[in-house]
Amino acid sequence: MSMLGTFVWLVAEAGAEASEEGGFGINPDILETNLVNLAIVAGLLFYFGRGFLGKILSDRRSSIEAAIREAEERKQQAAAALADEQQKLAQAQQEAARIRASADERAVATKAAILEQAERDIQRLRESVTQDLDTERSRAIAELRQRITTLALQKAEAELPSRLNDDVQRSIVDRSISMLGGAS
Amino acid sequence: MLSFPATPILPLASLEVGHHFYWQIGNLKVHGQVFLVSWFVIALLVLASVLATRNIQRIPSGIQNLMEYALDFVRELAKNQLGEKEFRPWVPFIGTLFLFIFVSNWSGALIPWKLIKLPEGELAAPTNDINTTVALALLVSLAYFYAGFRKKGLGYFAKYVQPTPVLLPIAILEDFTKPLSLSFRLFGNILADELVVAVLVLLVPLFVPLPVMLLGLFTSAIQALVFATLAGAYIHEALEGHGEEEHH
Repeated sequence: MSMLGTFVWLVAEAGAEASEEGGFGINPDILETNLVNLAIVAGLLFYFGRGFLGKILSDRRSSIEAAIREAEERKQQAAAALADEQQKLAQAQQEAARIRASADERAVATKAAILEQAERDIQRLRESVTQDLDTERSRAIAELRQRITTLALQKAEAELPSRLNDDVQRSIVDRSISMLGGAS
Repeated sequence: MLSFPATPILPLASLEVGHHFYWQIGNLKVHGQVFLVSWFVIALLVLASVLATRNIQRIPSGIQNLMEYALDFVRELAKNQLGEKEFRPWVPFIGTLFLFIFVSNWSGALIPWKLIKLPEGELAAPTNDINTTVALALLVSLAYFYAGFRKKGLGYFAKYVQPTPVLLPIAILEDFTKPLSLSFRLFGNILADELVVAVLVLLVPLFVPLPVMLLGLFTSAIQALVFATLAGAYIHEALEGHGEEEHH
């Protein structure tokens, strides 16, 4: 922004300026390059910005630290809870296995008991059936016997008049008497 | 590229503004001093990014902390403008705009460029050349057209006649005024600040320009913020249309 100065100085230093216009170089004029003011501004910015920005950044850093720490704590807690629950799960599974085993055992026992009971029942039933059968059979036999006796007697009584005459009667009586006599 | 026309009314200012260190590239005459300082700014940003990401710690410290803070800042800026849902893909663009403009402005206000003498023209903030700011503003225009077309396809044009077709000319005009106002605001602020400082330095070389220089630092930062914020706002407008889309 040195052009006003250049403009003023052009009159006096036209030759020097013209030669300097040609290429790259370094401008050594401290006032013209505004070096002092820029240094002051940069210094002020550095001085205040450092505190301000430094505070923001350290706050940010500490809040991140706190967040990470908190998250790690929560993670640990969660891991502990997980381990705890896994232990509980294992216990429960053990318990379940135990219950199942005892239930199996009891089922076997119960089955045996029921089978035995049934066996016994069957035995008892069979016995009673056999008994019934025997009773029935003996009753039937007795009945038959009586019937046969009756029929035989009837038949005998029916035939008796035709067959029985004095001789026969006598021979029978005699035989009977002899039998009696034989027996004594 | 265009050279800024020298104003014939103010011969002193025309000496200031109109002189450039021209490079001839093909048919183009480009302003070399702008390129030099732009490269410097770009190198500074790249260097800072590389240094910040070279040795990433879990708990950030030093330059990593600083750059993370900058990233947080531009991300907040983008989020405030574009909303929680859309902001993420636009953070690089808006963040680059902000950081480039900010570092450009402050390099112009803090670094004694005049120590280095060019054959013609002088080194200064790249943003005090209208070409730079127009390029940035046109990038913003491209970005918001891209955002609108990508989101709605050709339905993007519906926003031009959306409340009423009567406003169509104004809606079309807006697409021209947006880059125009963006570029001229930034360019004007930075150039005016540098000119005021230069004039004061000519009149009273020591201490008196200090308040203006400090004010210039403040203005430069604000202008970078304004440019990035407006870029975000324009992209958001293109994404949202005229309010009908918000109910979805």
